[in-house]
Amino acid sequence: MTGLLKKILIIVVLLFTTLALYLNFILMPEYQGLKTGVSNYIIQSALRDTGSLNLITAVLYDYRAFDSLGESTVIFGAVSGIVLILSRKMLPVSSKGLSFIVKRTLGIITPFIGLFGLYVISHGHLSPGGGFQGGVILAAISIIFSIVYGSAFDYRRYSPQKKTILETGGALTFLTIGLAGLFFEGAFLHNLNFLTAEPGTLLSAGSIPYINIGVGFKVGAGLAIIFYSMIQKTFEEDY
Amino acid sequence: MFNNLIFIILFMLGLYTLIMKKNLIKMVIGLNLMEAAVFLWVIAFSDTGGRISIHKLAETNFNFNDPVPQALTLTGIVIGASTAALLLTLIIELNKFTGTIDRDQIEGLND
Repeated sequence: MTGLLKKILIIVVLLFTTLALYLNFILMPEYQGLKTGVSNYIIQSALRDTGSLNLITAVLYDYRAFDSLGESTVIFGAVSGIVLILSRKMLPVSSKGLSFIVKRTLGIITPFIGLFGLYVISHGHLSPGGGFQGGVILAAISIIFSIVYGSAFDYRRYSPQKKTILETGGALTFLTIGLAGLFFEGAFLHNLNFLTAEPGTLLSAGSIPYINIGVGFKVGAGLAIIFYSMIQKTFEEDY
Repeated sequence: MFNNLIFIILFMLGLYTLIMKKNLIKMVIGLNLMEAAVFLWVIAFSDTGGRISIHKLAETNFNFNDPVPQALTLTGIVIGASTAALLLTLIIELNKFTGTIDRDQIEGLND
């Protein structure tokens, strides 16, 4: 009886919250961001400032690069916490993998997945994509290895030590470029103007492609470490 | 208007899941549902009918959508994935110690 009463009470509270949200939305004006403020400045002059065709990448890795550094620090903290909680020993616990047909098919597809991930990372300033998105695609390769070929295969090919080196290397690339901005341009994570080429080419947009590569490998290795830590414990009872 | 309605429905569904469900994994799903509602709303609210905010070479049409909310949403998605992974890890470890992921059956939390 108390359970039912609690349920009714909670639903009433939620309905009142819904009503409050609805009344708020009625009062809300139309979107004003484009006419005033920083958005107008970014749209008008981001190509001139950074040389990056993709405005979102320009915002992420030039105007608010410090924020992206904090974001990758959050990923680093999550990976550190998960590894600290889950893996007390770094031994692989293998699953057997899926059937022969799946293994052959994924063997053909997997190199193209890796190529697509590298393309998304390296063309982050020219087309939709960037370090975070491409890094997730790269992490999919490690997940495919663990599920389809068994986690021992993943351990042999890309051991956790290698993934740790990749992740730390990505973070250090980001920090090194930031410090280079401090040295050459006078501000931490300032865009390196002497690297700028003609907009639209692959190695244009100053230091943005290099930051993209660092972030991509960092995110990919981090997500692969997270997945590997989780399956290592959950498959332990079965095999 | 339609955006706001979808946002309210998704957000309240997530909040209801977070409050009412006793399974901890379902609570994480509810949290992620609320997150997804906020991201969807931010993107839909900042849509002013422009095109995708990527320059084309030799074209001076500046009728873009606002890139700043999209960059903020990208940040939010990454943070959300990190927190979800950490929460699920804690649930795995809790299941190892208490043998259950039911909120009411975990000893010490229910007085």
